[in-house]
Amino acid sequence: MNTKRRMFIRTIIASLVRRRSRMIIALLAVVVGATILSGLGLIYFDVPRQMSSQFRSYGANIIFTSTDENGVTDEAVQQGMSFFPASETEGFTPYRYENSRIHNMPVTFAGTDFGSVLKTSPYWHINGELPSCDGEALIGAKVAESLGIKTGDTVSAVNSFEVTDDVDVSSLPSYEIYSDPETGETYCDHELALTVTGILETGGSEEEYAYVSLSDISSLLLSERGYDIVEVSVASTQAKLKQYVERIDEGVEGLSAKLVKRVTASESTVLTKLQSLVFIVTAVVLVLTMICVATTMAAVIAERRREIGLRKALGAFNSSIVLQFMSEGLLLGGVGGVIGSLLGYAFAQYVSMHVFSSSITFRPLLVPITIIASVLITGLACLIPIRSAVEVDPALVLKGE
Amino acid sequence: MFLRMVWGTFVRQWKKLLMIALTVALGASIATAMLNVMLDVGDKMNEELKAYGSNITVVPQSEAVISKLYEMDSDDRRMDFIEENKVGELLTIFWANNIADFAPETDTTVSLNGRDVRLIGTWFNHHLEFVKKGSTYQRDTGIINLRSWWDIEDGEWMNEQALAGDTYAMVGSELAKAAGVSAGDNIEVTGEAGTATLTVVGVYESGDDEDQYIYTTLSAAQRLSGTEALFKKIEVSAITSPDDELAVKAAKNPSLLTGDEYDLWYCTAYVSSICFQIQEAIPEASATAVRQIADSEGKILEKTELLMSLITLLSLIGATLGISNLVTSTVMERSQELALLKAVGAKNGQITRLVLTEIIITAIVGAVAGYFMGYAFAQIIGQTVFSSSIDMSGMVAFIVAVLIIAVTLIGSIPAIRTLLRLRPSDVLHGGH
Repeated sequence: MNTKRRMFIRTIIASLVRRRSRMIIALLAVVVGATILSGLGLIYFDVPRQMSSQFRSYGANIIFTSTDENGVTDEAVQQGMSFFPASETEGFTPYRYENSRIHNMPVTFAGTDFGSVLKTSPYWHINGELPSCDGEALIGAKVAESLGIKTGDTVSAVNSFEVTDDVDVSSLPSYEIYSDPETGETYCDHELALTVTGILETGGSEEEYAYVSLSDISSLLLSERGYDIVEVSVASTQAKLKQYVERIDEGVEGLSAKLVKRVTASESTVLTKLQSLVFIVTAVVLVLTMICVATTMAAVIAERRREIGLRKALGAFNSSIVLQFMSEGLLLGGVGGVIGSLLGYAFAQYVSMHVFSSSITFRPLLVPITIIASVLITGLACLIPIRSAVEVDPALVLKGE
Repeated sequence: MFLRMVWGTFVRQWKKLLMIALTVALGASIATAMLNVMLDVGDKMNEELKAYGSNITVVPQSEAVISKLYEMDSDDRRMDFIEENKVGELLTIFWANNIADFAPETDTTVSLNGRDVRLIGTWFNHHLEFVKKGSTYQRDTGIINLRSWWDIEDGEWMNEQALAGDTYAMVGSELAKAAGVSAGDNIEVTGEAGTATLTVVGVYESGDDEDQYIYTTLSAAQRLSGTEALFKKIEVSAITSPDDELAVKAAKNPSLLTGDEYDLWYCTAYVSSICFQIQEAIPEASATAVRQIADSEGKILEKTELLMSLITLLSLIGATLGISNLVTSTVMERSQELALLKAVGAKNGQITRLVLTEIIITAIVGAVAGYFMGYAFAQIIGQTVFSSSIDMSGMVAFIVAVLIIAVTLIGSIPAIRTLLRLRPSDVLHGGH
């Protein structure tokens, strides 16, 4: 038994080594098939995640608003944000809107966090730069055009309020007190000098605001208040987002979360299409490639009909011939599968880095699937020509018919 | 003699040749299907991205300057309008076929049971006919396709063409809840210039401020606000090419482009060139790109196209390796035959020509069959994913033809040369 097994292994190794060029061809075929299987498989499973973060260029897909008058507090935002997994969260930006004036013209000011604003509104076109410190402002294009403001200008934002005993006017850095001749009430014009670092172009309603930092808007209004709106950008599916929103609505007091339907509904439509595109392309390419691998394997085996005939003439059993050839094929399938898995991973990684500039998620399950699929396909591809060769009379095969 | 030998191979070795033809056909079909899908995927995805709604807004020239800021003090409000008969000009621009949908709209504040409500008049599925210089342009367009994300909670979408009389409206879900309105109800609204009774056709949920609005036909809103034949804004959804360097340069100032650059820019469907052409057609209007939609569209398209081209590249490599592999192995298999030919005095050139002719003929048969198979696969992909057929590019047929012939030659010539270098006696003796 032992010698028989040694002989068996020796025949296989010998046939792999001596028929090197043929074996390389067969191995190459399997490797190509396995590479395509594992490469496209990895891409298919990773496309929704990767594309989902590309779709974040449409901006925020969830907004937080307050359920009461005082606006959204920082604690509520922190609590709300804790419902999203960190890996899916792109960013959040608070906004506080107040009406005030520039050059005696009414302008809506939006206080925001310039550090995170481009994460939730990546489509902002800024002529100039984002403000980097307090005392700087980003002016919407429409405001800038109607007031004739250019990048680099210094504008003064003016907030008027009635002077009461609550406010210590004298502590303000720059102010002017006057009284209304009709009513006799005393007003104070509180000024804040702002350097315009950039003009904002979006083609949307954002162009109608003047953006300043949150602390600037508090010092302009002389009051602290919560945020009117917090924009949140989360890379996730519509179904998951709905769950998060429901949980936040229930779980965080004073906070109302809402999906931005235009963004989420359209994203799920487009993403579904894209995923089914990659799926069907993968399926078609895989089926065709596998048939291609099978024909090559069959051709390589068919060439060995003489050898099969010779073995049979020497008295080998059909079963032992099938066993030996199949072992060779399966060995090729296994080795090809391993090499193909690695190459496929390399390809998927290249695509991911090149297209999405982020690394692909390695799915360990795809390795055994690739190897098993290669072994099965090679096995099937070998089985048919071997069987037909085995069934033929050796005399005919050796004669070359 | 040559032809007889070739013919002989076809008759006697048809099984092997069929295998080659099959493999070539499979490879060719992968190449054809993938290349066609890759070339068309941009257009197809572009149409899908129309789900996000309009990417261009057209407003009156002066409204673009004097901003909506002045809405605050409505007495001093200076609002300009565009004349309704100018809308049709959109159909006359160079890229008119790329304009998927558009809808003019006007808005006004009306009172509904004592509450102030914003009422928008627009087209839902309007049939537009426009005559200019003797040619007639026609288009069915409206906001039905520009609001793909609206959920109709109650009733149905307004069918403007079937419901005559301008007495119908759609109501936002929040407003409907607050005012206790549902589909089929009649609501009485009072605007600046009159009162109208509107029948609610449907209640929609949009997930934004529009949930508090009333949408009605353009003419109904015009009568309520006393601005007959005028409107304030057009939403345009156009199929555009992603911005590149030229588009960025042109967006700053088209007049800085050189003549050739200008022509190229004008004749490419950039969002900036379409805006420019709309402004040319309607001089009193100003068209701007909605950055949120236009920019993101460009990004998504670019990524999708890149992804598809890399997948295509992998499939092409797979297909070509598969073909050349099989060709090599079938040539190697014929060592005895080639050695015999050499032994009986055939010259190397003759043998090479013989083998190549056989293989090339087989490959051509396979490639033609493969091209049609690929066509079928491309259509299957197009129909399943996008429910529309994939455009077949003539260039693909050419690329596939060149590719297949090159691959077959690369697969066979080295193998033939290797075999010819061997000594016939060795091969025939069986010692190779």
